[in-house]
Formats: sequence, C-alpha cells, structure tokens
Amino acid sequence: MAKLRHSLTDGTYERLPSGLVRVEERGLTGLFEANGRWHSGELRDADPHMIGWVGGPQKGFPPVSAEKKAPKTDSAAQETESTSKQSARSSGMNLNLAGKKALVTAASRGIGLAIAQSLADEGVEIALCARSEGGLEEAHKDLEARGVRVFSQAVDVGDGDALRAFVQASAEALGGLDILVCNASGGSGMGDEAWQANLDIDVLGAARAVEAATPSLKESDSASVVFIASTAALEYLGVPQPYNAMKAALLAHASDLAQALAPAGIRVNSVSPGPIYFEGGNWEMIKNAMPAIYERTLAQCAIGRMGRPEEVANAVTFLASPAASLITGANLVADGGLTKRVNY
Amino acid sequence: MASSKKKVASSARSPGLSYQELLDTDSLPAPPVLRLESPLELPPSFVPRDRYTSRAFHDLEVEKVWKKTWQMACREEELAEVGDHYVYDVADLSILVVRAAEGELKAFHNVCLHRSRRIKTHSGRSEELRCPFHGWAWNLDGSLKRMTSPWDFSHVKPKDCQLPEAQVATWGGFVFINPDLEAESLASYLGDLTEHFDRWPLEKRYKSVHVARVLSCNWKVAQEAFMEAYHVLSTHPQLLSGIGDTNSQYDTWENFSRAITPNGTPSPHLDFEPSEQDRLDAVTNRYIDEDPVMVLPEGMTSRELLGQASRVQLASLVPGASELTDSEILDSFYYTVFPNFHPWGAYNLITYRFRPYENDPHSCIMEVMYLSPYRGKRPKPCEIHWLGRDEDFTKAPELGFLGRVFNQDIYNLAEVQAGLRAGVHENLVFANYQESKIRHWHAVLERFLEG
Repeated sequence: MAKLRHSLTDGTYERLPSGLVRVEERGLTGLFEANGRWHSGELRDADPHMIGWVGGPQKGFPPVSAEKKAPKTDSAAQETESTSKQSARSSGMNLNLAGKKALVTAASRGIGLAIAQSLADEGVEIALCARSEGGLEEAHKDLEARGVRVFSQAVDVGDGDALRAFVQASAEALGGLDILVCNASGGSGMGDEAWQANLDIDVLGAARAVEAATPSLKESDSASVVFIASTAALEYLGVPQPYNAMKAALLAHASDLAQALAPAGIRVNSVSPGPIYFEGGNWEMIKNAMPAIYERTLAQCAIGRMGRPEEVANAVTFLASPAASLITGANLVADGGLTKRVNY
Repeated sequence: MASSKKKVASSARSPGLSYQELLDTDSLPAPPVLRLESPLELPPSFVPRDRYTSRAFHDLEVEKVWKKTWQMACREEELAEVGDHYVYDVADLSILVVRAAEGELKAFHNVCLHRSRRIKTHSGRSEELRCPFHGWAWNLDGSLKRMTSPWDFSHVKPKDCQLPEAQVATWGGFVFINPDLEAESLASYLGDLTEHFDRWPLEKRYKSVHVARVLSCNWKVAQEAFMEAYHVLSTHPQLLSGIGDTNSQYDTWENFSRAITPNGTPSPHLDFEPSEQDRLDAVTNRYIDEDPVMVLPEGMTSRELLGQASRVQLASLVPGASELTDSEILDSFYYTVFPNFHPWGAYNLITYRFRPYENDPHSCIMEVMYLSPYRGKRPKPCEIHWLGRDEDFTKAPELGFLGRVFNQDIYNLAEVQAGLRAGVHENLVFANYQESKIRHWHAVLERFLEG
C-alpha cells in the first residue's frame, strides 16, 4: 500500500485496502476516513490534507457540503454528453464499494463470513447476524480489524419479527443500507420439519428481509440485493429434498423482485454455489460420513475440485457492487462446472 | 519594460535563499523578466469580512467590477470559424462573443430585444443569431436580420434593433470582453503583462484541458487560495522537501501581480536538510514504500535533473526550448490579472478563472485550463468538463497529478466560507509579504469601487 511521510511531523500516512488511512505519528496510531474524520485508534488528530492525499481518490473527499445545486446551464448542459464520456474514462474496473453499508445474514462462518470479509476488505460497513452468539463475536472482531464499522446480533432468521427488528436496527446502526445479502438457510434435511425450516429461513427469511430493508435500499444510490441459492435448485443432484425445492422458490422470488424493485433503483440477483468445502462445513461432514457421495460429487466438478467460500464471496461482492449496475434478475452459478445444463 | 527595484514597504523576508539568489545558481543566465522585482508598497491590509459574505457587496461588485473590467471570456481558437459563438456568463451578465467575419470578433449582450430571452443558451456555431422564442434573428454583426410578422411591428424600426455591444479584444490567444464601452483598451489595461509573456507566447498553445466545478465558497475565497504559497506548509505538507514555499517572490504592478515559487528546493520550514533525492521524490510524488520515479545520478541536483528531463520533453514542441532556464522549466509563475484571470507563466500550462455562481456570494465557479504546446497543426481545443458540485477533482483524470493537489486546496474552502459566515470579527488580516498578491488585489478592487 502507498505510504507517505509527513515532512514536518515525521508521521507516516498509509492507505488501507478498506479505503481508511492509517496514521502513525508521535508514537500513536489512528485510523481515519479519507475525508479526515477520525475512525478509531489512539491518535485522534492528524493532518486532514495528508489523509486526503493518500486516502483519495474516493467518495467523501473533499467533504460533501450540505447544499446541492446543479451547474448553471450557461454552457454546462451542452457539454453534458462529452463530460459523461470523459468521466467514464478510468483505468481498470473499480468496484466503488468503499463506504457502502451491507447486511449479511448467517455470517459468523462459512460462505456468509467469507462474503462479509470480502465486502469489509472493500471498505463496506457490515451488519451481520447468526443463529447463536457462538462465533458471532469472533466474526465481529475479525471484520472490525479490517477497518470498518460492524454491527452484529444473534437472530433466528426464521422468526419474522426478530428478523424485521434486526434489519431495522442494522439500518439505524450503520445509518442506511446499500446491500442486502440473504445467506441464511435451514440446511438439508427430510420430512415436514425440514420443509418448514427451509420455507421459514431460506424463502421467508429472504422475502421478509427484503421487505424490511426496502425503505432503506430505496435511499441508496446503488442498492443491491443478493440471494444465496444453490445448484441443488437447478439440477437433480441425487436426493429429493425440501432444500432443493425451497431454493428454487427463492430463485423465482428473486426474479420477481428484480422486476418489481428495478424502478426503485434496487437490483436483485442470486448466486448459486455448487459444493463448497471448508473446515466445519457440510462437505467436510459428508466426506467423513458418506465418502461415496463426496467422491461422486467431486467427480462431477469439471474443474476437479470443490469451491472455496471466498470464491462464492467474490461473485457476491461483484453483484453487490456498483460495477454490476446493469445486472439484475441474474442467477450467477459458481460451481466449478458441477451442473451440466446449458445456461441460456 | 518597466524596471526593477522599488523601495520595499516591509523588508521582512523568509530565511533561506531568495528566489533571486536561486536564479544565480541557474545553469543558464536568467532573462530580464525573471530579474524584475516589484514588491507591494502598501501598509498592512485589513479586508472587511462582509466582502465575502454579503449580497449587497456582491451587487456592488456586479456594478463596479463585472460591468467595468476586462474579463477573459474564452480562447480565440474556440471561435475559429465565422459564426462560432461563446456564451460567457457572470452574475446576471450574459455576453455572446461571436466570430462575425474572418478576422473580426464581436461581443453582444446575449439578450433578445423583443421579449428579452437570452438569445443563445449554449456555445456553438450558427449562421445567424436567432432567438428561439419567437424567431427574431440577428446577423453576426449584430444588425437585425428578421423579425417575425413585421406587419405587427410597424412601431419598431429595424435600424434601432442593433444588438447592444460590449468591448472585445484578444491577447495571448484569449478573447477578453468588457461590458464598459468607455473603458480603456485591453492593451492599456494589461500594461506590462504582455511583455512578461513574450518568452512564453500563450497564443502558440492550445487548450488541452478545461475542467469546471461549482465550489461552496465566495469566488474571492477560491481564487485567493491560489495566489500565495503560504498555505503549502499546512495544506500540501507532502511537497515540503521539494518546494521553496517561503522563498517565493511576490511582485505587483498596476492591474496584475505575480508570484514565483521555486520547486526542487526544500522548504525553509523544515528543520532538516532533505537530500537531493528527497527533493526529487517530493516533486515527483513518490511514496516511501515504492521505488523512486527517478534516481538522481551521483553529483547531480534535483533541479538539474528535473530541468534536463523537462527540457527534453519540451524540445520537440517549443522552439528555443534549449534556451529556457532551469527556473522557467521548473518553477511556478502564477500571475493574476484583476479581477479573475490567472494565467501561469513559463511552461506550467495552468490557467485559472473564478467567478460567482449566479448571484450567490457563498458559491462560485472554478475553472482550470491547461494550455499545451503543440507541433504542426493546432489541435482542436477541448470541451469543458463540468464536475458535479461535490465531485472529487480526481474524477477529471485529464488533470493528472494536480487533481489531488486541488482536492487538498478545495478541502479548506467550504470551511473558510462557513467560518466567514460564523465569525464575529470585522476584518481579515493578511501576511505582509507572502499574501501581497491578495493585498494588491483588494487595493485594485478599492480603486474600482471608488471609480
């Protein structure tokens, strides 16, 4: 990262991947937003010009004045077209996520945690929940260490009232929401209870979260919703399960929402991961308990391996970002070639 | 050329090399224009705070300044073909500058004589000046070409319908207007300035960059941020190893002033002696965990290396580039022509213009132009690039490294305006020497207010 020395104070000013600036000066360390506002740390007073110099270019520097007025029409209107062309010129793709605010459900471990981490590394502030306190605090700390504001709470996503209250509390804690990632799932299982759990958590958990977050998302200039579905909704994978059918329902609902919410400036997409292997995850359990199924599934993966949570997180991060501004109603399959159908 | 050493009102100067002493170390003999010294001879200045905040003072400026002074409207290259026109607005004034004929420019008040619509909303090219409301049209020389339904206007004589004019003249490839038909000529108004630029003819450049943005401060707050090097210490600390901020020289003449700030030499504010490589790094914006942009060969100074590198760059574009001194290649020569025109001397490319945004004393338009040398046929001047009111200057990548420097400057300005509005003190105080360009500007303002 680019680090610069202040000739007078001998402090060092360093831009972090999150977009925050770390300043070490007079033996103290502090983190600052690029507009000069103190974020955290012992050092509370550093040079805002130097912070802006190493922290920019990005949103928030220079500070935004309260009053907004369009340029006068003298020669401005005529030039608008060429202006926008020039502004669009930039080197490489920029996700432009720094400073956005995201809510991720079930994010204390696995894919959910990887998504939250990936967003935090881009400078996104995170609200997360998990069924139980266990692991939540650790995830909270991990995310905070990435230099962003974090809000976390233990929530049963299948409980409508609790979920709505959490969405509201998140928007209040972060001061708005730009991104909603519905990752919670009832998991795989059989019988009436599993049907109910997948309906409550996978489908209703997503539908209710969107409903509750919509007022905040409408305020955002780049609102994006991402549902985590599954390849199990796309092809027959060997066992009829409520999980598969409910993920299919989730995909259908995502499609509907993409159309219905587009006029409000909210994009809705899904990511369908194939088998994702991580320590403590489902596939580790299957590998030990049902090695035949594990081997058969592995053989189906065209790239010769199962996926990693970070690889799903990358897909989600892209769809969540303003870089995907044209994409809505899509189901992005991240399965290393597990599914064999043709995607028209 | 009006000559050098006058008596100095306040002789206090910064420690360290003066610009003139630095010139003595130049690898080439300095031309007379760089040897000129004309420090401001005025007692300390106190400027009333309400000059920056009051609508009444804005209205006074409209009457005494904007209606009375020569102002840069556009580049002459933007009016290359007959029929090309440019709309220059300031406060309530709207002036239409027109290429009326080969070799002839005209400036009109941009207002239809029928129901007073502004005739042209945009700059462009047309065969006649037609008001879009009812279709009255004027020839490019300002004579009435056509009224719609003339049978209905038997009470109006076409010969009384000549568009009212403003004065128009050119210098340095710029087109200037003055709404005051009684005012002295542009040449007399600019005075010695034209000779200052003899070595750096701006008419032989083309406008390669033009960025505009509305700022949340009075137009004078904005331009005064670009008239001294006193702010470098606190606003651009990353530059200190390679900028002689307090070594700057400030000179004033009748309607214009200049500052010269040396680069590649350390700030006297530093309590250590930066190495020559440090100085080079500061000028070339090097981060401490990256490789240097250029590594100084043994025994060479940063000024020598920067001078050599730039001279090579300019050699193919500027005739006589090999005769340019290190100072002309490296240092910042920032001129101010009253009221709002800031062309930079030598080959620093920058020109600024500042004006009020509509009639709001709390906002203004800042424009940055780069005037680039070229070889062969003159490239087309670029279109203006309007940034959003709060948009980062780095969103105009054509500004290059300076976009980030402007961000540092702009960072203070809305805060200054807020403070001017919040304050209870009567006057602003200015540094006697380092802010003498601003002090001189207010003295010229006072002359126009009285006149």
